[in-house]
Amino acid sequence: MTALTQDALIERLSAIVGADKVRTDADSLETFGKDWTKIYAPKPTAIVFPKTTEQVRDIVLLANEHQLALVPSGGRTGLSAGAVAANGEIVVAFDYMNQISDFNAVDRTVKCGAGVITEQLQNYAEEQGLFYPVDFASAGSSQIGGNISTNAGGIKVIRWGMTRDWVAGLTVVTGQGEILRLNKDLLKNNTGYDMRQLFIGGEGTLGFITEATMRLTRTPKNLTVLVLAIPELDDVMKVLNQFQGSMDLTAFEFFSDKAMRKVLARGDVPAPFDSSADFYALIEFEAVTDADMDLSMSLFEQCVENGWVVDGVISQSETQAANLWRLREDISETISEWTPYKNDISVVVSKVPPFLNDIDEIVTREYPDFEIIWFGHIGDGNLHLNILKPDALAKEEFFERCAKVSKWVFEIVQKYDGSVSAEHGVGMTKKPYLKYTRSAAELAYMKAVKAVFDPNNVMNPGKLVDL
Amino acid sequence: MKVLVAVKRVIDYNVKVRVKPDNSDVDLTNVKMAMNPFCEIAVEEAVRLKEKGVATEVVVVSIGPKVAQEQIRTALALGADRGILIETEEKLESLTVAKLLKAVVEKEQPQLVLMGKQTIDSDNNQTGQMLGALTNMAQGTFASEVAVDGDKVNVTREIDGGLRTVALKLPAIVTTDLRLNEPRYASLPNIMKAKRKPLDVTTPADLGVAMTSTLSLVKVTPPAERQAGIKVGSVEELVEKLKNEAKVL
Ligand SMILES: Cc1cc2nc3c(=O)[nH]c(=O)nc-3n(C[C@H](O)[C@H](O)[C@H](O)COP(=O)(O)OP(=O)(O)OC[C@H]3O[C@@H](n4cnc5c(N)ncnc54)[C@H](O)[C@@H]3O)c2cc1C
Repeated sequence: MTALTQDALIERLSAIVGADKVRTDADSLETFGKDWTKIYAPKPTAIVFPKTTEQVRDIVLLANEHQLALVPSGGRTGLSAGAVAANGEIVVAFDYMNQISDFNAVDRTVKCGAGVITEQLQNYAEEQGLFYPVDFASAGSSQIGGNISTNAGGIKVIRWGMTRDWVAGLTVVTGQGEILRLNKDLLKNNTGYDMRQLFIGGEGTLGFITEATMRLTRTPKNLTVLVLAIPELDDVMKVLNQFQGSMDLTAFEFFSDKAMRKVLARGDVPAPFDSSADFYALIEFEAVTDADMDLSMSLFEQCVENGWVVDGVISQSETQAANLWRLREDISETISEWTPYKNDISVVVSKVPPFLNDIDEIVTREYPDFEIIWFGHIGDGNLHLNILKPDALAKEEFFERCAKVSKWVFEIVQKYDGSVSAEHGVGMTKKPYLKYTRSAAELAYMKAVKAVFDPNNVMNPGKLVDL
Repeated sequence: MKVLVAVKRVIDYNVKVRVKPDNSDVDLTNVKMAMNPFCEIAVEEAVRLKEKGVATEVVVVSIGPKVAQEQIRTALALGADRGILIETEEKLESLTVAKLLKAVVEKEQPQLVLMGKQTIDSDNNQTGQMLGALTNMAQGTFASEVAVDGDKVNVTREIDGGLRTVALKLPAIVTTDLRLNEPRYASLPNIMKAKRKPLDVTTPADLGVAMTSTLSLVKVTPPAERQAGIKVGSVEELVEKLKNEAKVL
């Protein structure tokens, strides 16, 4: 193995992708070297933009030859520093692999380059009279390759599941530089280990996804949104049970009054009602008939009678539905101004109430002087707990104090057999805490799997699991 | 003071409008319908007048198919007191609508008629004005502020290059512009209460208005597709293209 000089490196990369698809200017290095976490200073060596699976393979072979570290980069909306290059890595950006092709109306599948933007696929599906159900606030920037590599969840999981459920087939380049076409887009294929599943949620540590066949589904009818005011945290799950007992929901989200006040302060969307409560639930369902509408009303009435809910609104138009969604969807972006320390934790739905109580107790005890913002996909048992940085506190000191409390938070997660990262992945930020969710034996197997696919540790080293 | 508000059921503002393949009309199959946004503003204004104690009764009227009752119920949930549906499956033209509204005005004798400046489906912006002509009532169009003052209503109008305030003698017609107010959401308790509010159904024939049509729709075409953009390599190239290709510099 020989080390490459910077010039030789650029030359070799240019030979693979073309000189205009290699960038080393300061702006590009800064932009493509980081994701949404903004904790680590970006410091990549170069950014390459392959256009084909074969080019990706050649980049990986080059990396193996010279022990170069590669960081795959999607839309860089990740929240766990998975797509961060802070140690002189080469960033492989999939922006030019953004073709949608081979739509098949019978199979309801479509082929996407890894760089297809999530929203691009959603719009494409809509044009075909179909629906791609994975959705979240960053869908306008995140890429299918990134979504698959983080097994992204989002706001419709309660009904349509995670990204994993929509991947029919994958083309990947393994860490050894081999091209694999996995699962042949089959619905049924019991021919042994389904390796596709390893790359889904693999965060680019085993191989790079270059192409995916995604499933589409029928378009939901008349999605209707309720926002309910719930004074007690304890009652949020009672409301969920009440609704889920009688109807299929397409979303059940929750957020705290503090979270909503911050969104409303931006002045982009109107307040849902004059009353306020400490918490709100956003419920979405398909109102196909008048009976569905009447049912939702009577469920609301029962919740009010039981004293769980004090007020509520229901969307009368798509515009209103969209505006009500923004109360929930704009939270992440709104609070990013305060450099939040983000927790993305989950337990099984039945354990959410005692889990919430324990977490609440810890954070009020340990963060008396910090502002805490609660929201999340609570219908999936998934809670986003965000701690906002006080202006006066330096970033380093703030994250240090948060990390201390994280230990307690994660001990509670462990006590309830939950996950330290429900949907944001592990990357660098959650790596030290994996042991709270994964056993030592599991971690050893994960290492072993990594060694099989990426023996030279060139694929996103330092993320998720160390070799 | 009684206020009459006209509301129309139209394609939802948020829906991506599709044209039928034969260009005969907009495709409305399985498309979400909602209250015209300008009508929503009119309802909100009427309800505010009632909350201020200026209006004593708010009556909403809609002309359209049976399902237009949904939009009337929404208005009732927002705070209107009673609804009237003039049921018809016919295509609606501004003049016929104005004639129908005139019949309702004669029957209800409102002091103030509030309506949207236009509907987002046909974008005509003429029904309010036609109703003014037919009833001889004063009219204040494009309102961004409405203040009732004794037997007058002061209407601030949004006009090109500024605002113009007119004082109208009641009874009067006011058509709403976007900045008049921000409509509230219908609360669930109010939606339930609205189910018990009276909603009368009548027909154009009952009101003695013939649905004669003077217009025929010739063709509907979607706007030209936007051409894909290009990425330029440098500021110099951008300037060069703006100068020589776009010719804007
Ligand atoms: C406002 C906001 C809201 C969000 N809401 C949600 C939410 O509700 N649910 C949710 O799950 N997430 C959410 N996220 C997180 C994020 O958007 C998702 O994790 C998304 O899937 C990341 O996609 P990306 O293309 O931006 O990936 P990146 O951030 O670019 O990368 C994510 C990981 O995948 C790897 N990767 C990227 N492309 C490839 C590839 N082609 N092959 C192999 N590995 C690759 C990267 O190295 C990295 O480890 C949110 C983020 C923001 C900013």
